[in-house]
Amino acid sequence: MVGEGYLLELCKVSKRFGGLSALEGVSMGVRRGEVRGIIGPNGAGKTTLFNVITGELRPTSGKILLEGEDITGIPPYSICRKGIGRTFQLTLIFPEMTVLDCVWAGLNARSKRVWWRLLWGSPPEDQATRNAMEIIRQVGLEERAHELASNLSYGDQKVLEIAMALSTGPRILLLDEPTQGVGPQEATSIVQLIKKLSAHTTIILIEHDMNMILEVCDSVTVLNFGSVIAQGTWAEISGNQEVQRIYLGERSWIS
Amino acid sequence: MSWMNKTRLDKSYSLGFLAVLLVLGLVLPSGARSLVVQVMVLCVFAMAYDICLGFTDQCSLGHSVFFGAGAYGVVLSLLWLKLGLIPALLAGLLAGLLLSVPLGIVSVRLSEAYFVIVTAIISAIFHLLAMDMTWLTGGDDGLSVSLPKLSLGMVDLSVYDPHTNYYLVFVSLLLSYLVLRRILDAPLGKVFVCIRENEKRALFLGYNVEWYKLAAFVISGTFSGLAGGLYAVTLRYASADYFSFYWSILPIVWCLIGGLGTLSGCWIGVLLMCLFQYYVSAWFTHYLLIFGVLILVVLRASRRGIIGYLMARG
Amino acid sequence: MSEPVLTVVFLLMNGLVWGLLVALIALGLALIFGVMGIVNMAHGDLYMAGAVLAFFLGPLLGHFWLGLLVVLFAIALIAGPIERYVLRPYEGHPSATMIATVGISFILQQLALAAYGGIPKKMDPPWTASFSLLGVDYPGYRLLVAAISVLILGAVWFFLYRTSMGILVRASIEDRQMAEAMGINTSRILVFTFVLGCVLAAVAGVMAAPVTQVSYLMGTDVALLSFIVVIVGGLGSLAGAVITALVLCSLEGVLSAVLTPVQSKAAIFVLMITILMLRPRGIFGQRNG
Repeated sequence: MVGEGYLLELCKVSKRFGGLSALEGVSMGVRRGEVRGIIGPNGAGKTTLFNVITGELRPTSGKILLEGEDITGIPPYSICRKGIGRTFQLTLIFPEMTVLDCVWAGLNARSKRVWWRLLWGSPPEDQATRNAMEIIRQVGLEERAHELASNLSYGDQKVLEIAMALSTGPRILLLDEPTQGVGPQEATSIVQLIKKLSAHTTIILIEHDMNMILEVCDSVTVLNFGSVIAQGTWAEISGNQEVQRIYLGERSWIS
Repeated sequence: MSWMNKTRLDKSYSLGFLAVLLVLGLVLPSGARSLVVQVMVLCVFAMAYDICLGFTDQCSLGHSVFFGAGAYGVVLSLLWLKLGLIPALLAGLLAGLLLSVPLGIVSVRLSEAYFVIVTAIISAIFHLLAMDMTWLTGGDDGLSVSLPKLSLGMVDLSVYDPHTNYYLVFVSLLLSYLVLRRILDAPLGKVFVCIRENEKRALFLGYNVEWYKLAAFVISGTFSGLAGGLYAVTLRYASADYFSFYWSILPIVWCLIGGLGTLSGCWIGVLLMCLFQYYVSAWFTHYLLIFGVLILVVLRASRRGIIGYLMARG
Repeated sequence: MSEPVLTVVFLLMNGLVWGLLVALIALGLALIFGVMGIVNMAHGDLYMAGAVLAFFLGPLLGHFWLGLLVVLFAIALIAGPIERYVLRPYEGHPSATMIATVGISFILQQLALAAYGGIPKKMDPPWTASFSLLGVDYPGYRLLVAAISVLILGAVWFFLYRTSMGILVRASIEDRQMAEAMGINTSRILVFTFVLGCVLAAVAGVMAAPVTQVSYLMGTDVALLSFIVVIVGGLGSLAGAVITALVLCSLEGVLSAVLTPVQSKAAIFVLMITILMLRPRGIFGQRNG
């Protein structure tokens, strides 16, 4: 499973909380341009996996490599600057800031850190603001750019969070249930957005909606009790006994 | 685009307030003038505190340390080093800066409740030490100092002249406001707001949150030092009492009344509290009892304060 | 034994007795922090309130220990409504809640000043016998205070580990979110914990009244010490609070043989900062992640 040429590679990553094992020897590799779905029952360790990759949690053992560079245990902000952007299951945005400022924040974070720029720049006119408008246009929120983030609908907040993750210039985008709690119409447009993004970004996606996984993902990793029980393309995993056992009766996605 | 209106409202309120202060210096009788001088000094302190609580959501109970350090920075540099007035004020500012760096390094990485309590402990220890080290601070009795002339290149002005004193403080307030406004309008200030709005999101956008919190803490401590220095200059006196817990609580009350995260909103809070203290302490000995009740009432009445409330409507 | 050794033994014993009282106060703080997520800034003033009330009630009731019981109930009656109606509205906002407790602290101090006056007063211990221990003549009342403190600590332990209510309290400390999700962290637990914490401080205040001077500002010093104790011990760690209180107070007692009180406070402060730099969550605190 583990080999050369991966953009992101996990080698036997484990995470234990006290006696509880949230991740157990997870190994996986994601290639450039791939869209990888992560599925599994509730509590399988999907979000913990994201937290470990992005540095929110330090893995108990194992290694995480980004283009061969070991990023295990370095702080979240440097992992982000190295090119891993993420969204959260419970949407995290800056409620009292405008949509434009929210996206500006990510662009500003990666602009060259010269201390006088922090003091003498003027956000409304700088390059970051122009680039932010570009990203906002890309996700289709341009009409609401000057609106406060808290005034957006929940679906638009989810889109805004994706835009914020994009603004950090990620090589890999980690999306944690981007359509959860969103109406069907908005969900469709989010799926369209992700498909559009997948043309030039590597994406890892946690999702419960199997239709969406089928629609956008090239390959899938199935987690259960913190372990990878199967991974590969649809054709490869849909025949897997264990996967069928977990999902049979729950959802009829294996046809 | 309501946020544009808000910015405009904020700007016109701040400039209006400053314009009124500019005129008041000429027309007020001496009693009221010294009260206004005090208000202006404390406005600097309040703005400095707002950077900490209002813009990065760090609820410090230790700002009396910087205020007291600034006051002693000025008084001791006048007494011992015989500095001029402006260099002495800069020494006060420097005292705030030099203390806020190590104290910030210790405290900004702590979680919310830890931060509050550790800053409170720090201020209590500094108060104890200041009371104890009478050879340095004069303890509770404090140190009095006579002020040198204010030399501005060509002319030397006496700060014992009430107008000079008034405009020295006014210019300090104006400069502090302009510098802090600049910082807040710059990328740095926007990052502060990001951290206040959602620390975790800021971290996962690639910001070293601790570093920025430290920056805010140090800017806040530096200007608190300047405020303490100005306070010592206007009273020509500094005492260990400036380190007391009361001086850490006051800026919270000012900012809560005026509005957190508005920079100039707290001026209203300072004004109201100074008037309140001036009149209430005159007829009621247990003024602090009302102060305690006031904390609870203000906290309950509005999380955003008067200016925040107006801006939310405007 | 030689004179200096005797002095150190005497100071050490003072430190231990004092440490037991501080342990009661710090345990109260740690309980409140564990369940409510806040540090009660008025804690020292509840200690003061206990002492001042004892000063008034002792002579009035004619009996010190009866006074203690009455104080206990009085403080419980004050603390309950404070939690429910003053602090509860800020639940989930630690900073705001702590500022509110600062307000309460000002109110308590000024009420005491108004009722009691500004001058510190001495109070006679209810028991004047003294014992010779390890060659040192030691006041019996202090030993009694130590014994009662140990009993109270034992009772609190029994309550927390052997009664269903106590187990609910501990569950709330262990994992507040989980307890909330399971519906444990009810209004009842919050009020109860706050009352228990405050009563512990007040009882310590009553017992300390004959040992120290009673004044409206007596809570300030104690609050500082117990804040340091819970920070070093790890906020929310009950055993940590008790152990740290005993160690720090004995240390302060011994240090007072060579340093002034302020210097020994400063030394303990430096110790606290060092520990915080090494372990931001205290010695016994849980690390996250």
